[in-house]
Amino acid sequence: MIVKSIRWRLQSWHGLILVVVLAGFGFTAYEVARENQLRRIDQGLEERVARLLFRPGPRPDDGPPPTLPEGGPGGSGRGRGGGGPGHDGLSGPGRGHGEGGRGHDGPGLGRDEGGPPDRDFWRAQLCERIKQADSLDADQAGASYFILWDRAGSLLASSTNTPTGVPKPEPTRPSDRSGFRGPPDPGPGFGTTARSRAEFRELVKDMPSGDLLVVGRSIAADRRGMRQLALWLFAAGAAVLALGLAGGWWVASRAIRPIEAISATAGKIAAGDLSQRINVADTESELGRLAGVLNSTFARLEAAFANQSRFTSDASHELRTPVSVILIQTQTALSRERPAAEYRAALEACQRSAKRMRTLAESLLELARLDAGQEGMKRERFDLGRVARECVDMIRPLATERNLTIHCELPEVPCTGEAERIGRVITNLLTNAVHFNRDRGEIRVAVRAEDNTALIVVSDTGEGISAEDLPHIFERFYRADKARSGIQGRTGLGLAICQAIVEASGGTIETASRPGEGSTFTVKLPRE
Amino acid sequence: MRTLIVEDEPDLLAGLLSALRDEGYAADGAADGEEGLYKAENYDYDVVVLDVMLPRLDGWEVLRRLRKTKKTPVLMLTARDTIRDRVRGLDTGADDYLVKPFELDELMARLRALIRRSASQAQAILTIGDVSIDTAARTVSRNGTEVTLTAREYALVEYLALHRGQVVTRTMLYEHLFDENDSTLSNLLDVHVSNIRKKLGHDFIATRRGHGYWVGPDV
Repeated sequence: MIVKSIRWRLQSWHGLILVVVLAGFGFTAYEVARENQLRRIDQGLEERVARLLFRPGPRPDDGPPPTLPEGGPGGSGRGRGGGGPGHDGLSGPGRGHGEGGRGHDGPGLGRDEGGPPDRDFWRAQLCERIKQADSLDADQAGASYFILWDRAGSLLASSTNTPTGVPKPEPTRPSDRSGFRGPPDPGPGFGTTARSRAEFRELVKDMPSGDLLVVGRSIAADRRGMRQLALWLFAAGAAVLALGLAGGWWVASRAIRPIEAISATAGKIAAGDLSQRINVADTESELGRLAGVLNSTFARLEAAFANQSRFTSDASHELRTPVSVILIQTQTALSRERPAAEYRAALEACQRSAKRMRTLAESLLELARLDAGQEGMKRERFDLGRVARECVDMIRPLATERNLTIHCELPEVPCTGEAERIGRVITNLLTNAVHFNRDRGEIRVAVRAEDNTALIVVSDTGEGISAEDLPHIFERFYRADKARSGIQGRTGLGLAICQAIVEASGGTIETASRPGEGSTFTVKLPRE
Repeated sequence: MRTLIVEDEPDLLAGLLSALRDEGYAADGAADGEEGLYKAENYDYDVVVLDVMLPRLDGWEVLRRLRKTKKTPVLMLTARDTIRDRVRGLDTGADDYLVKPFELDELMARLRALIRRSASQAQAILTIGDVSIDTAARTVSRNGTEVTLTAREYALVEYLALHRGQVVTRTMLYEHLFDENDSTLSNLLDVHVSNIRKKLGHDFIATRRGHGYWVGPDV
């Protein structure tokens, strides 16, 4: 379970990315360092070769920089004669010393004579120098060794510090170079191959003369340095990884804490305590907004529950009263022998209660159907005026009984909706107008068209509705006056049903009232 | 015993009044809170049955105002049986509580218990001399033999027994045994007393001239 938690998943991804980044960085750093090191070693070796082929004179800085010895072929024919202007051959700073400069202390291995005879001379010179290479490098750390092979593969010379078992390299240029008359002094790197061999780094120079010169040195110390570097990189990487993971854990914990708070609160609410709310400290953050949304959802949930509970309580109250009547009436009637008239009275009381329960049950069902939207409202064209006239005719006897005058203004107004249900709304409003009217009062009923809506206005001259009750009169079981039994057959659901029907028809119902002067109900229905 | 029923549902009120009168109680009715409060304040009822949902003045308000002046036992009737309602009822000073719909027998038993308690009688059976009165079964026996009394006669015996050792005036008897429908100008009371003496012995009820009636203090 815990492995599946968001914190663990975050941490895993974080760690994975960190490892990849660190490994990539460490590897690149190591590779770059290694490349640099090799290049440095190779450069060192190149310099060594240069110094072998051309030993700097006492005034090294009064001539051009040393050049590599490959000028060998000298076939150009130029520079014949010592001190000539030709620069081919083992020329260098010491050139100015003239041809007498040949020798160990000479400016370099001159290439004054081209052609094969010079080659042998040059080779001998080279061999001589190689044999003394130790002294040449005496001032250098990581002493280099030199080996010279001829083309045929026989060892011509090797420095005394040469390790055993140096394999003879393969020439990289075409076989017989004896007659080679290529361009002079092709420059550093020409015909040079580098090779790493166990603890040694070697450069193989394919000399223009056809010989193969190997210069190398031990790189054990450099390798150790690289291993040290790798170790350091690894240690540093591990430390950064550990720090990164710890930081990630901390950040994840902080990020998750509000989620855990939300989850705890939601848990309490799920357990039944609907009054719980998430403590929103920071409403601007993403989680704060989420908490806000959840809180408003919880508030609506709580209100819905409270509403539902009140409705259930009201409904059970409304049902309990008639049940009480039936129980008491029957128990009293049956407690002893009674005259027929008393039985009759008891039965009539029971019948009234039963009727009341039936009305209530029907009203509740009607509301439930309207709530659930099971029965879609029919959309039929009908004349609102005609429907209203039928309702007025139905209510007229009741009004006459109470000496009420009904004023009608009912022209033809085409309208869309379910005529029967709209009729029920009008009847309900008219019944209320009769019941809540004063004696010899008036009722006004009018329908008219207004833009896209059809209006029904029913007003009475009764007591009116107090400002305190006005906002609640469409609530289920709300009674403006608590005298419920003063008027038989009233369930306290009439206006709630009216509102449900009108709203399901796409209309609105409003009321205005002046206490003492009467109330006016206005229903607006869509004409199309 | 004289009772007041405050209930706005006419059929329920009528049924309750009829049932109580059958049991020998004097029973008055009120259809709204104002009328109920007026009656409860102006008569010494032995018990009041008060509905919570009433027009004009609800049951809680009637009870609150009544408690300022009277200790009359009050049984509240309600259709809502939440704990909160019960607590509120008992805190406001209701003596008992009954949830609609209720059984008539239960209502009667609770009313009897309330009347006994207000007369500081814990037991259901009262014994005076050789007469014993079972207030639960509403029967009277003399020397172990059950004596048949009319409801009104029983009510008179019970009232005197609950106030034994005290002089009970004719006015008290009229107020507690007859309701607003009975005529108090008749000599009905004398007829009842005479009949009871025939059934339970002449000495059971003593007459204190100019004061009223009296029954012995035996338990």
